[in-house]
Amino acid sequence: MKSTERISVALPKGRLLDVILRLLCEADIEMVSYKLQSRRLVFQDKSGHFQFFILKPIDVPTYVEYGVADVGIAGRDVLLECQADVLQPLDLGVGQCTLAVAGPKGTAQADYRELSAVRIATKYPRITTEYFTQRGVPVEIIYLSGSVELASLLGLSDRIVDLVSTGRTLEENGLEIIESICKISARLVVNRASYQVKRPAVTNLIKRLTDVSQKTACPTPKI
Amino acid sequence: MKTLTQIPLGTQILFGEGARQRRRLEQLIYSVFDRWEYQEIIPPIIDYYDVFSKGMGAESEDSIYRFVDREGNLLALRPEFTSLVAKTVATRLQDWPKPLRLCYSGDVLRSETPRGGRQREFVQLGIENIGGERVACDAEVVQVAMESLQRVGIKRFQFNLGDIGFFAGLVEHICLSDQDLIKIKKLIDLKDSIGLQNEMERFQLSTQQRKALYSLLHLTGNSQTIDSARRLVSNEQSLLALDNLAALYRELQRQKLAKHITIDLSEVRGLDYYTGIIFKIYVPGLGFEIGSGGRYDNLLKNFGCDLPSVGFTFFLERLMSVALK
Repeated sequence: MKSTERISVALPKGRLLDVILRLLCEADIEMVSYKLQSRRLVFQDKSGHFQFFILKPIDVPTYVEYGVADVGIAGRDVLLECQADVLQPLDLGVGQCTLAVAGPKGTAQADYRELSAVRIATKYPRITTEYFTQRGVPVEIIYLSGSVELASLLGLSDRIVDLVSTGRTLEENGLEIIESICKISARLVVNRASYQVKRPAVTNLIKRLTDVSQKTACPTPKI
Repeated sequence: MKTLTQIPLGTQILFGEGARQRRRLEQLIYSVFDRWEYQEIIPPIIDYYDVFSKGMGAESEDSIYRFVDREGNLLALRPEFTSLVAKTVATRLQDWPKPLRLCYSGDVLRSETPRGGRQREFVQLGIENIGGERVACDAEVVQVAMESLQRVGIKRFQFNLGDIGFFAGLVEHICLSDQDLIKIKKLIDLKDSIGLQNEMERFQLSTQQRKALYSLLHLTGNSQTIDSARRLVSNEQSLLALDNLAALYRELQRQKLAKHITIDLSEVRGLDYYTGIIFKIYVPGLGFEIGSGGRYDNLLKNFGCDLPSVGFTFFLERLMSVALK
């Protein structure tokens, strides 16, 4: 099948988008008509080989799983949480941070393993449940969609599970990391069928992104 | 009571055009099966749990709907047909002339979260070719699948063809727990090179093993892929798998079908019972495979009769979304 086939790319809006756009630019993929303030959600690149959708990060894997987007870029946190069945051929090494358990300063020593059920606020109910139940710790998950730090600060939960990049938000809210769950960075994900039937175009994109992500080489994250 | 009006998650109801289309598709594909002299077999929808769990493997058996009957036996709703057909052949049709050509169509049930184009109840339509010669029957099964697709108006399709024996040979001499093996398979399946690299560091691998496992991710393409793969391994099982694959490819080439084939040795996904060639069928415009198949030479042994076999199945609902258009 032809290599000139156009591939659609789902991108996450939010903290990752700028970094990704820069990466794409370095890979010689330039978006036409994209402006930061724009409300448009669909864009093309100059060559016309790519079409881009801007989505909520958590929705990216779903669009890719169903093949509406051939490829996408998603944080590992999102991939672990939503469990979409997509291929993950490349770690882009950008957007690095840690998914961590945090709580009020000075409580790190208090061993929550003794408590009957730890109350934990998070945007990541699945990862959190798995992490704690695997360790035999009973948990009560409070699902929140934002400002998770506040939950711990105001006493809604004993702990929170959230992304930590610099640690400043935690610091400013009187919290600290208690345990880190895993390292997170952005990954390129590909639809199973697109990977097969649009292979030349997809491999080309993977190669270009591999080259630029190695140039901006950050050490590859380990679990 | 809301259960009176609600339908269970993952089930569906067809009527009118949808029902007609499904019936028509089934008839068209059956006409191809019939031409190749595959006889229909209609197995029961329940059987003992062990019949299925043995062949499917640890990962998939979680999705089997199981229940206990009044006598205390553990039963299951069929999650696939192949095990049922294998059992029937091994027990009742042992003495029939080989190769036995059987086909089936019907609902299967799996307790999974409905997503990615799959419901909990879905229709499988496929064939099993039991007790015949290896390469000839492998080729025949692929050919029947291709002809079926053409019969329902699908002109562009791609078969990703691999041989699970290649991977099995690679990991045979590495001391891996079942858990680790599942993990490595999963990483290869997801083409996750970073994950695989990290994981491999945990095991004692020779440079050759490391290189071969890592290269597996990219062992995809035309018949030259088989030659590149040959240079990576020295173990008998992997080499044998490559010989088989090459022979099958030549046979398909002879029948002018090779243009639909992509050799893909990174295809390691599938039920545990597969022992040789495996393939997945893709069509442009659909995000999931519409069928899959492979060789399962050891499955019948579980039921007390040792016969090599190969088969494939279509996922009818997925086929419906692209066929007869």
